[in-house]
Amino acid sequence: MGTIRVWIAVLACIISSSSVSASPHQDTKAAELSPEEFQKAKQTFETACSTCHGLDGGGAMGPNIQAIPFRLGVDQVTNVIQNGMPGGMPAFSSQLSAQQIQQIVDYLLTLTRKDEGKVTGDAAAGKQVYDASGCANCHTISGEGGDTGPELTTVGQSRGPNYLRNTILYPGTDLPQTRVFLESGGQLQFLFVRVQTKDGRTVEGTRVAEDSFHIVLEDAQGKFHSFRKEQLRELEKEPGKSTMPSMKGKLSDTQLNDLVAYLASLKGTP
Amino acid sequence: MRMAGSIGLIALGLIVGSPPDCLGQNVPYERILHAQSEPQSWLTYSGSYFSEQYSPLKQINRQNVSNLKIAWMYQPSHPVANLESSPLVVDGVMYITEPPSTVTALDVRSGLRIWSYTPTLPEHIVSIGLYATSRGVAILDDMVYVGTADAHLIALDVKTGAVRWNVHVADNVMGYAMTGPPLALKNKIVVGIAGSEAAVRGFLDAYDSKTGKRLWRLWTTPRVGEPGAETWGNGAAESAGATTWNNGSYDADLNLIYWGTGNPAPDFNDDDRPGDNLYTCSLLAVDADTGKLKWYFQFSPHEDHDWDSDEPPVLFNAVIDGKPRRLVGFANRNGFYYVLDRVTGKFITGVPFVKQTWAKGLDASGRPIPAPNQEPTLGAGTLVYPSITGGVDWTSPSYSPQTGLFYVSAHETGAYFIKGTGKIEPGPPKGIVGGGGIRALVGEQSYGAIRALEATTGKLKWQFKLLAPAWVPVLSTAGGLVFCGSDEGNFFALDAETGKPLWDIQMGHAARSNPISYEVDGKQYIFVTAGNIYIAFTLP
Repeated sequence: MGTIRVWIAVLACIISSSSVSASPHQDTKAAELSPEEFQKAKQTFETACSTCHGLDGGGAMGPNIQAIPFRLGVDQVTNVIQNGMPGGMPAFSSQLSAQQIQQIVDYLLTLTRKDEGKVTGDAAAGKQVYDASGCANCHTISGEGGDTGPELTTVGQSRGPNYLRNTILYPGTDLPQTRVFLESGGQLQFLFVRVQTKDGRTVEGTRVAEDSFHIVLEDAQGKFHSFRKEQLRELEKEPGKSTMPSMKGKLSDTQLNDLVAYLASLKGTP
Repeated sequence: MRMAGSIGLIALGLIVGSPPDCLGQNVPYERILHAQSEPQSWLTYSGSYFSEQYSPLKQINRQNVSNLKIAWMYQPSHPVANLESSPLVVDGVMYITEPPSTVTALDVRSGLRIWSYTPTLPEHIVSIGLYATSRGVAILDDMVYVGTADAHLIALDVKTGAVRWNVHVADNVMGYAMTGPPLALKNKIVVGIAGSEAAVRGFLDAYDSKTGKRLWRLWTTPRVGEPGAETWGNGAAESAGATTWNNGSYDADLNLIYWGTGNPAPDFNDDDRPGDNLYTCSLLAVDADTGKLKWYFQFSPHEDHDWDSDEPPVLFNAVIDGKPRRLVGFANRNGFYYVLDRVTGKFITGVPFVKQTWAKGLDASGRPIPAPNQEPTLGAGTLVYPSITGGVDWTSPSYSPQTGLFYVSAHETGAYFIKGTGKIEPGPPKGIVGGGGIRALVGEQSYGAIRALEATTGKLKWQFKLLAPAWVPVLSTAGGLVFCGSDEGNFFALDAETGKPLWDIQMGHAARSNPISYEVDGKQYIFVTAGNIYIAFTLP
């Protein structure tokens, strides 16, 4: 993998499950809750949802739903909570009030933002940092840019400033947990994988899809590679490693703050 | 009694025009009792009263399984994301359920629908802590039986789907529901109930198969003054849970039903229920005639990790220490595999079949020796193995008398368990009672495996690793094969002796129902669901 190419993939891991989606719901906005509202919403979620989806929405008996409003939109999520969904999701319309269902949706909208933090930089200056760093070679914003990295059109909705900053500096430390939607809790992280085939080829890249018999990787050039596992001599997974290099020491504090401000401002184009 | 719902009678001419020995549909008790002697059929939920999930058919075997092809597919009238229904196959007809409570008869040669019955259900079905699904039907004589999402037991005419009787088993408004298949015995239908998360009190019922009259009810938690009440610190005034939401097994020689029970309520808040909380998370041996409890074995006393024990118990006979024994094998959600004497309920052996951290081991009676600091706690919670889904949840294991191995789809994962603070309140439940919950480990920290255990010892013979913990039941066959699936949508065949993969297909969705096998026109079929689709496989 070429160094420059890798360096350009600066934001490969500043993603949420929402931004992984091919077409994130751009109308979906994170709720602005007061601390009291947040606590009520959290309590309602934990009472009604956590047994199946986990207290953090990360999945248990039910799937990972941390970013579900960004993937499906608020209306559809509300509808699913009200009426259930074939396959395991009960209907809650007879158990929860409309206000409580709204609280759950509001709470879900906060789950991928992680440690919130504050924006201190200048978004306009941050766009210049983004452009100068070649981020667009790998990332799409509002239809412009490459597709090796995840789309960032709405990343400001789904991720908070502290998460964005941390991922720019330490890309592999908090990788998204659901690239492919699985029933049993979202097992597929944005994971770096290296394989060696029985005929001696080595391929490395990000896992795009995997089942118990196959794995599909996307290399740094954006090419997909599909393997049956029985064809492989080695299959090495490196949790915590990212194709995106750390920007620590490569941006000044001001540039970093500005870049965070720009990304935090990306909330879609209604 | 209620009015019948809708019956769609399709292709009646198929019945009329077919040979009388092909679409007869009369299943006296003796046929089910000797189910293994007619391997072309699948007459009860797990294939036989012993719940072996084993087919004596061997046309599909190690040498040719790689040639398996799809023969036909069927999709329910209303899209369903996750079918969990296991079919019965009788004399050329397959009986399936479509969530929430529809029963459909299919022609096994073509997959064409013969009839379908949908009960009239309330506009709002209360389904707390469960999905209003249906895992299948029972058949006896000339009737098919289904438990409904609103806790009715309905008997249908086997040839037309017309309602013969309909009884109200329990109050759905209070959280009772029926998701498990009934068990048909001689002249009676035995059914369990779901709803522990709504804090209902569990029971097991038996009904006259001809009339629907209730013959007996065994409450699975005691009330004040009853045996076991001392195991509930509150005097059992509010004992709740121990629901019986899956299928059971039966030993006709002993006339004993074997049925598992679920967790106590509230689940993650045990403050108000000090004690063992009988008969939660237990295996019950019940006299089939009287409904009296013959013996019980509690796997997880005072349980607070949601580790129900509702998996179908597997009955098998084997020689131990030179003596022939009647045994029951149980891969429990708490992570231990148990072997019990099914005559007495005495513990024979128990070993972990997945990573577990909550017990130092089992004592001589099989009672767990608790490990310290493994209870749910407030705040960040306590990391415990296995996770809430357990070593295995409700999905059936399989026992092959050919190999003597017990096959189970094991979950290797843990979770942080967080204590709840809610209490049981009078009146209809408003949600899962008690609160609390878990944060599951994700990614590479959890995986699944098909594990073959020596049935008498629990010793691991082989395993086939899966990417993720799989909620998929297992089938073994006399063809030397084990069929199972992954949560990622694979369905595959393994060598029953070695675990070597021999065939696989990506179906696009997990196989949640029991794989089964049957034979028609001299051809063996393997049948399973994938998401919204029923699929029959056979050789070219």
